[in-house]
Amino acid sequence: MVRRVLAFSAILALLALWTGSPGAVLAQEPAPEGAPQALTVFSRYPSQITELGKSVTYPLEIRTGVPQVVRLSLDGLPEGWEATFRSGSRVLQAVYADPGEKASVDLRIKPPNDADSGTYTFTVVARGDGESSRFPIELIIKDRLPPSLSWEIDLPTLRGTPNSTFRYSATLRNEGDEEVEVSLVADAPPGFLVTFKSVGKDVTSIPVDANGSERLDIEVRPFEQIEAGRYEIRVVAQGGETQAELGLVAEVTGQPDLNITTPDGRLSAQAYVGQETPLKILVQNRGSAPALGVDLSATEPSGWTVEFDPKTIDQLPAGEQQEVEVKIRPADKAVAGDYMLTLRATPEQGSSESVEFRITVLTSTLWGVVGILLIAIAVGVVALAVVQFGRR
Amino acid sequence: MSQLEAGMVRSGMAAPQAQGKEGSPWTGLWAVVGKEMADHLTSIRMLILELLVVLTAAGTVYAALQTLRSTVGQDRFLFLRLFTTAREPLPAFVGFLGLLVPLIAIALAFDSVNGEFNRRTLSRVLAQPIYRDALLMGKFLASFFTLALVLTVIWLLIIGMGVIGLGLPPGGEEVGRMLWFLVATIFYGGIWLAVALLFSILFRQPATAALGSIAVWLFFTIFWGILAQLLARTLRPIRYGFVEEVLAQARLELALSRISPNTLYTEATIGLLSPSVRSFGIILPEQLQGILLGTPLPLTQSLLLIWPQLTGLIAATLLLFALGYVLFQRQEIRA
Repeated sequence: MVRRVLAFSAILALLALWTGSPGAVLAQEPAPEGAPQALTVFSRYPSQITELGKSVTYPLEIRTGVPQVVRLSLDGLPEGWEATFRSGSRVLQAVYADPGEKASVDLRIKPPNDADSGTYTFTVVARGDGESSRFPIELIIKDRLPPSLSWEIDLPTLRGTPNSTFRYSATLRNEGDEEVEVSLVADAPPGFLVTFKSVGKDVTSIPVDANGSERLDIEVRPFEQIEAGRYEIRVVAQGGETQAELGLVAEVTGQPDLNITTPDGRLSAQAYVGQETPLKILVQNRGSAPALGVDLSATEPSGWTVEFDPKTIDQLPAGEQQEVEVKIRPADKAVAGDYMLTLRATPEQGSSESVEFRITVLTSTLWGVVGILLIAIAVGVVALAVVQFGRR
Repeated sequence: MSQLEAGMVRSGMAAPQAQGKEGSPWTGLWAVVGKEMADHLTSIRMLILELLVVLTAAGTVYAALQTLRSTVGQDRFLFLRLFTTAREPLPAFVGFLGLLVPLIAIALAFDSVNGEFNRRTLSRVLAQPIYRDALLMGKFLASFFTLALVLTVIWLLIIGMGVIGLGLPPGGEEVGRMLWFLVATIFYGGIWLAVALLFSILFRQPATAALGSIAVWLFFTIFWGILAQLLARTLRPIRYGFVEEVLAQARLELALSRISPNTLYTEATIGLLSPSVRSFGIILPEQLQGILLGTPLPLTQSLLLIWPQLTGLIAATLLLFALGYVLFQRQEIRA
């Protein structure tokens, strides 16, 4: 039992210490019970933190034992600072205080824009009839963070063919406390075109909110016929005095680009019905990578046979060409005239290339000989008739 | 019976045994050709026919020129269109030729042999030192040359009108095609010439021969197409509607219709004057695959295409002449 009483009194003592300490700081002991209330001014939030250029409002309360007009002022205000007492939209200098109810006034302090960061102390002075009260307040101006840019990207290295567009999705982050206008510059090797896109629109500069971020699509488009390889692209975001660099890598894989032609460039030929006609074609690789396993095929009219020698080109290095012999045999029943023959070269990787040949099909002159024979027989019949019945 | 005729009878009787078969059978051929051609070219009959043809040619080609000027801008074969362009109400010139050429040919030859009989001049001619061979051949060749002359003149007239009307000379391939067209036209006339000659040998009355020739011509022009269709339907009926049956019937009909010289001539004309025509037969869809339509064939290929028709016309002319020749040689002409 004794122990319990002891513990309880200890807690009480602690409580007394805790509640008593702010009283000591304030140096303004509330009046003891029974005595009339002394004039007191105080704020519930005496120490506030603000950013540069922003004003702060301290809610003040005034208590008094006797009804009186209390004049308010602020001591310790540096040059250039503004301090006003307000109630609602009114700007005040004095307030009437009644013992029964407390008077509330707002103190607004506006530091100048060039104020240094640090801790400023002021004293609110309330003067009544023959008594006054002082209440120190504290304003801490926080350092404003300068704009600081940074990039964020998930996939800085992309791979593609010379024909593809490399699309990087990056996020530009502003870690400063100020909005900043960022201009975007790309440093790419020759042969690349870099564009920045924000929400689908081409941009060269973009505003980034304080502590905000912007998503950017960086499109890198190689021009035709860029050689295979690894290309580094440096993207610089510059805003104010800060800048951020982003290194992108475009790995351009080589691509074969096939082309079919003939030694003399003519894409027409003649072929006799039912006879095999050889035709020489050239398969060229004008791309940036070797074409592997180029398969040659044809779309021929029905009944035709088209044979390639060789049927497959195992490897065709970039910039090289190979001669291929094509044996075309029009159908036996083909009608004379012009036909379309499509020859196609398909590499194992990459797009196929086709070319249309115009084949003029000729019929054999054999039937012409048959016709001549027919006339010869008719002449023979006349001659026979002359021999048999002639000279009468 | 004059002495001359008596002499002729003697020689006629003696010829097979005594004379044997000596000397060329064509002695005097060119004399006959010359005389006959002179007869033809001065005759009123020919004058009327020539006027008719020239008027037709001028009319149709003028109409074709008008159409060509207003509609056709660029054509590789502008001259060929002179022959084939029709303008309402006139048909194209080739259409007229299909009618006029047989008419001229029949008019030239329907009385060539029986006319001599009726004028009783045949025996006199044969009293001269020429064989019947030379006489018949001469008559045929004279008619043939006259026909060729008339057609060539019209042909040149049309080309001349074309040069003036179109203001440009024909190209080499056009000239080639037109020349072959002329050849086909002449031999088309040759067939009717041979038919008329045959009838003039067969029938003693020129009117009968003329009517017979015209009957044959009408038969082939009007009735043969219908008959070919009927025959094809009878011989290759479509029982189950198979494609093979339809094809067989169509092929038979086409083959039968080609017996008519009109069909042969029409096809030859189309093949020569329309370079983009590739076939006259039945083309299956599989043959059309990959084909480039509308492209002209080279002249040699067009020629190969119509070669059967052309050689058919020439061979038919020769065979009909041979038939007439045999009949004439075996005929009794002393009556």
